Amino acid sequence: MESARAPRADLFDPASLAALGRIEIVARWIVDGFMSGLHRSPRKGFSVEFAEYRPYQPGDDLRYIDWKIAARSDRWVVRQYEEETNLRASIVLDVSRSMAWSRADMRGLGWQQSSEPGALPPLTKLAYAERLTAALALLLLRQRDAVGLVRFDDRIRSAVPPRARNGQWRRVVAALEESGTGKASSAPEALNQAARLINRRGLIVLISDLLMDMPEVERAMRALRAAGHDVTVLHVMDPAERELPSSGEALFIDPESELAIPASLADVRAAYRNTVDEVIDEWRAMFGSLGIGYEVISTDAPFGVPLRRAFAARQSLP
Amino acid sequence: MSFLAPLYLLLTGAVAVPLLIHLMRRRIGARVEFPAARYLARAEKEHSRTLRIRNLLLMLLRVLALLAIVIAAARPVARWVGAGHAPTALAIVIDNSLSTSVVENGRSQLDRFKAMANDVLSNATATDRMWIVTFDGKVRGGSPSLLREEVARIEPIAGAGDAAGAVSRAAGLVRASGFTARQIALLTDGQRTEWQRPPSMADVQLLLYVPQGAPPVNRAVTFAEARPVRWTPRGELAARFLSHDSTTYRMTLAGRTFARGTAAPNEEVTVHAAPPERGWLSGTVELEPDELAADNARYFALWVGAAPAVGASASAGPFVKNAIDVLRSTERIVDGRDIAVVPADELSSLPALIIAPTDPVKLGAANRALERASVPWRFGARRSGDATVRGPGLDGVTVSQRYDLVAQAGAPAETLAVVGRDAWIVAGPRYVIVGSPLTPDASTLPVRAAFVPWLGTIISERLVGEPGQVVAAEPGAHLPRPRWADGIESAEGQRTALGDALDVPTRAGVYFLTLGARRVGAVVVNASPDESVLDRFTANELGSRIHAERTLVAENASSWPVMAFGGAARRSLIEPALLIALLMLITEALVIGVRERRRAA
Repeated sequence: MESARAPRADLFDPASLAALGRIEIVARWIVDGFMSGLHRSPRKGFSVEFAEYRPYQPGDDLRYIDWKIAARSDRWVVRQYEEETNLRASIVLDVSRSMAWSRADMRGLGWQQSSEPGALPPLTKLAYAERLTAALALLLLRQRDAVGLVRFDDRIRSAVPPRARNGQWRRVVAALEESGTGKASSAPEALNQAARLINRRGLIVLISDLLMDMPEVERAMRALRAAGHDVTVLHVMDPAERELPSSGEALFIDPESELAIPASLADVRAAYRNTVDEVIDEWRAMFGSLGIGYEVISTDAPFGVPLRRAFAARQSLP
Repeated sequence: MSFLAPLYLLLTGAVAVPLLIHLMRRRIGARVEFPAARYLARAEKEHSRTLRIRNLLLMLLRVLALLAIVIAAARPVARWVGAGHAPTALAIVIDNSLSTSVVENGRSQLDRFKAMANDVLSNATATDRMWIVTFDGKVRGGSPSLLREEVARIEPIAGAGDAAGAVSRAAGLVRASGFTARQIALLTDGQRTEWQRPPSMADVQLLLYVPQGAPPVNRAVTFAEARPVRWTPRGELAARFLSHDSTTYRMTLAGRTFARGTAAPNEEVTVHAAPPERGWLSGTVELEPDELAADNARYFALWVGAAPAVGASASAGPFVKNAIDVLRSTERIVDGRDIAVVPADELSSLPALIIAPTDPVKLGAANRALERASVPWRFGARRSGDATVRGPGLDGVTVSQRYDLVAQAGAPAETLAVVGRDAWIVAGPRYVIVGSPLTPDASTLPVRAAFVPWLGTIISERLVGEPGQVVAAEPGAHLPRPRWADGIESAEGQRTALGDALDVPTRAGVYFLTLGARRVGAVVVNASPDESVLDRFTANELGSRIHAERTLVAENASSWPVMAFGGAARRSLIEPALLIALLMLITEALVIGVRERRRAA
């Protein structure tokens, strides 16, 4: 039972975890860690058609352990079965320029990287979101759900139609490694595209920093809900976007709109925090009124946190 | 409030620093990419009013703190409300000149000043040093109770006194006290003629009170004079009056009224008389009393005697003979031998008007005659050529022949006329010497119209009776002692020996000068006519003329005692200024602290 005692990657510091490997590796660790934390395996459809064996992982249902193999070889394996997917999910990822930002970009305003040996720079919102996307896709695929991906900035950068077959996850991961980070964010078009790719009712997960106009997003969401889709929004924010550094004066420039605001952080910090809280409340109220799940995800939070939110949304579906 | 180190106020420019910081704070050089700038813009938009107020408050607090520090560096001093007063050297200068005896609203100005001085004395404490200085030059020091008694004794003087001298003396007193708080409290009627020479006291504070409003209309006798001073026994009395309308006057001599009349404004009135009294007499010219009674009478003195018996030598020339005849016909003189008008070579006795000999051959005889008569002058070298004479009543007279007048040991140096730098007419006890013959070929004097009056004056003023004259003086003046007198007689007849100087009494009147037991002259004490002109400076006008460290003007009698000791009540404001600065900085820290706490929250 060594694996049961192994540290759970989904609870690691995201920056440290991301430094350990490529997206797919990290995503696997995350999903594995996440699933080991569940009381029972979330996966369904185990009883339809046998597909393969795989090593036992903490959290797997004991009913699927092949006891004969365990008795013969002293290895614990579980049986896996091919199963018809019952959910089509599409992850809509914002890769606009605003996502390629972390608090490390505020070095001149008092943000300092930890002086501890081996301290790593924080993840950008995009890097965090990509890993989260990969992990979420893997998690859904392991549940035999069909998963697709739409990446967008000011236009749709890439689109992977939802599939549940083998190799789908690699296609998703490969899409994540494509270039992106254009200028503005145009979520409505991406959301419509995602809906078109799903074809029938499904789950759409929007991962974005939501630095976009609320009315447009609301119109797109309203259309998705009218089409019967379930939608979950993961609002990715860098901690420095919620809480400004305590001092410093600078000309703050929005990389997308070129909006320039001169400000003294000491003067505006409290007001800014209040404003961000107000904005989050506004998003939450808007999404809530449409029956859309909404969570604010901080890029310094372990990946398990948003994953749990998204997984919970999935579990609430039939 | 004033400053002891005002140059430090130049540092006030330092307040520009927080102002500039406030104004420049948005000119920020650093550029930071920040995707959530839209939230920042919204925060600024929604909270800009609060931010502006807070920043403005911080800026004001910093400016005030700097200002308070700069003010503290300039060492401010000011009066603290209700703070009492520190030990003070206070000199109260009271104008007791003649003009302050004017009665307004039933009370004299001086009485008002005395009451106001007592009000100040009532506020004095045992730690104060106090003086009372009056315009007559008197200084009184002591405790407040003692000074109250001294104030009660102050009387108006008969003249203007010395306003500038009194203030300067008071300034010297408070300056020498060593006290930090020094003040002069000046009570004056602000009479323009008194303050033509204002004093300067740059290191002493001045509290000034001048009555408001126009002074009452005044009538005064501004001039009274007997012409000549020696009447034999005829003469005339001249007088002038200050009045806005015609005024009635009365003239007295030796206590007897001898003339009454009505005079127009500024008209000179002359009255001829031949009084029966003899010797040195006093008289007055008087008006009906008005608000200022002290200048309604003016004194004069004269000598009255019988017409002198004058005999002129035929050798003196026809012009002298004719002039003597004219004087005799007007009863100024009578025929006789009491006074001789003779060439020097014929001199046998004094008194005499001694004329230079017409013939140079007689020069030796002339000088021997002078020696015999104990006249300490001799005729010297003979001079020819036209020269102009300078002397009273002799304008335009020229001389073509003359002798040098050579003084002998002990000769009195009273020269009545000169030619160039040489004496031409000299006078001594009972003699007058003329350096030329009184003939047309030697001098133009005998042929001029002024010759007869001059001769009459010489006889009556110089050769009649005892030597002596009238000295006109203002009250309290200090004059050199006349050589021909050794004592002074008061109005009550009490005689006092003269010292090296003649200290003129402070009361107006006639004081006879004596030599031994005999009256030989008089000191006539009258106020300056200017003292009767009551036009005033306003308090502010007078305050601007007196250069003091700081001038406080009491607008009325009730504010006067409140403002006294103002210099003492002006305490240092360094501590309060620093306290204010500290409070401003603490408040600033609190404002910033609130901000920090909000930040931390």
